[in-house]
Amino acid sequence: MAVSGTSRQKQTDEVMELTLINTVFQIFSSNMMDIPVIKPLVDVLMTVPIVKYLVALILWKPFFAVILVPGLTGLMLSLLFIIWFERKLTARIQWRMGPLEISRSIGGILQPLADGMRYFFQEIIIHKEAHRPYFVQFPILAFIPVLLPVLFIPAGTVYAIRTPYALPVIVSLISMIPVVIMAIGWASNSRLAFIGTVREAFMYFGYEIPFIIAVLAMAVLYGTSDLYLIVEKQKVWGIALNPISALVFLITMAMATSRLPFEIAEADQEIAFGPFVEYSGILFGLTMTLAYEKMYILGLLFSVLFLGGGSGPPLPFLGDLTPVIWLYIKAVIIMCIMAFLRAVYPRYRIDQALRLGWTYLAGLAVVSVVIAGLISAGGLLP
Amino acid sequence: MRSRITRRVRIKTPDLNLVDRVKGHIDAIVTAAFQAIFPDRITIQYPRERRDVPDNFRGMIQFDINKCISCFQCSFVCPANAIMMRGAPDGRYYPCIDYTRCIFCHFCVDTCPRGALLRTKIHDVAFSSMEEMFATTEELIEPPEMLREDDTVIRYRIENGDLVLEKIEEIAELSTRPEIQVSPAKLSACAHPENCIACTLCYLTCPSNAISVKVVEGKRTFEIDPKLCTGCGLCVKECPTCTLTLIER
Repeated sequence: MAVSGTSRQKQTDEVMELTLINTVFQIFSSNMMDIPVIKPLVDVLMTVPIVKYLVALILWKPFFAVILVPGLTGLMLSLLFIIWFERKLTARIQWRMGPLEISRSIGGILQPLADGMRYFFQEIIIHKEAHRPYFVQFPILAFIPVLLPVLFIPAGTVYAIRTPYALPVIVSLISMIPVVIMAIGWASNSRLAFIGTVREAFMYFGYEIPFIIAVLAMAVLYGTSDLYLIVEKQKVWGIALNPISALVFLITMAMATSRLPFEIAEADQEIAFGPFVEYSGILFGLTMTLAYEKMYILGLLFSVLFLGGGSGPPLPFLGDLTPVIWLYIKAVIIMCIMAFLRAVYPRYRIDQALRLGWTYLAGLAVVSVVIAGLISAGGLLP
Repeated sequence: MRSRITRRVRIKTPDLNLVDRVKGHIDAIVTAAFQAIFPDRITIQYPRERRDVPDNFRGMIQFDINKCISCFQCSFVCPANAIMMRGAPDGRYYPCIDYTRCIFCHFCVDTCPRGALLRTKIHDVAFSSMEEMFATTEELIEPPEMLREDDTVIRYRIENGDLVLEKIEEIAELSTRPEIQVSPAKLSACAHPENCIACTLCYLTCPSNAISVKVVEGKRTFEIDPKLCTGCGLCVKECPTCTLTLIER
């Protein structure tokens, strides 16, 4: 009796496991990317017993959005590209060659990859004065506020979470990044890091308020902060409806990502990378790319708010991938514009940057809210 | 002495209105965008491209053994004592250059009466040890060994007051032709005949047999044939009593 009881128990367990797996599989396969080009291949793979779970997971829209494009993989690719592009563009404008020795035939585009590998194998030096646990974990923790906003950014129908509070959530997550940078500076416990941290804090207050007001203006204009709806409502791109808000967004974006006119916190020539001065090895690689990651997220947000998100001419045979590609291209173009600034402008003093942030930008941001209110109240939204 | 400047000059920030500022921004962006598309690069990608240098460039030194008359002038003139004359099996002396000492002043090349030392445009030679940097006569005959990767020559020319960089697809020629001797021709002459002790050293040293010995009334007398004398100064150097000197022809 006892034996048969156990086996019956086992059978029930197996059945339950199977139903669980099937339920999860049902969730995955009900919301899959529809890409006509690879459709035959997917159909074949979906008949293979175990591979089908993997394929269903990868093509599950939330997973695709977060792990592939526009999420983690897209972020890494854009990082590799933009670091190379920035160096190359600056070099061209300054009559130099830029990175070239690694993969000479394709213009040295593998240089960031080689640098990354070098960071991996370099020793991480933790100096005596540093607050050791924080010093090591903050560059890694910084990824949380950087990557979480991707959850809420829709590329067409490809998104992880759709909520009416997407815009506030993204803005608040982005606002957390400078806090992590300040924590990094504090944990480094060195003079230059301290100066950089203080500058970062000043800049944080300088740009964050106009930035939030400019984003708010767009929420007022569209009457919603659900990014999916915002993209749908953009028959005319937001940049044409409210150019002042776009201008404020772009300038505060340059401030937020330490681009050159406002590269005050990092200031290579004076304080040798500011809060990140003590880092080496892969930790330095992580902290160095932090600003670029933030730039990518802000580029995505700019594309969604002002450039019509994933809308664009339909690409044949790509199906659900079309808006993803358009969104990605727009974000990368915004990053390229940011990289271009580096070659054009020298650096502001901190008082100049703060004056700009607290007076002109804040004023323009308020004006943009007024414009948005007028358009929204007057029913001028096409 | 006290500075006479008493008036203080204060530099004010330029008073620009909004239009000027916007114009300045647009100017900067347009210039940068133009350079991004058509860059005026000035980088010389050195191992692949080589800058064209003039013929009198002071590079590594090459030696033509057939022209050398073993006059030692190069080793005398060398301010860094980098040239050592070494005896060869044919009884003559030829220069060796110690590149650890050489300062590339090319005094030796300038001073050589026969143009036996040649300039080259080679300036980028790596040595793996200090001993290797001592170039013996045999090594000096051939130009120094080097790995050539260049296929382009960079030349500058001045156009409307601007320096314009030209890239020419050719392999740079690094050797030069010997220069025609421009230093005044010298001649060995007897300055103080009363000093002579008739040791015949001058006669024995002369590489061109310009000095002849005659025995007149039991005394050796020497005669210098101005046609044969090359003005190399070997006899002047060897003479133990400073009887001889070099005069201009």
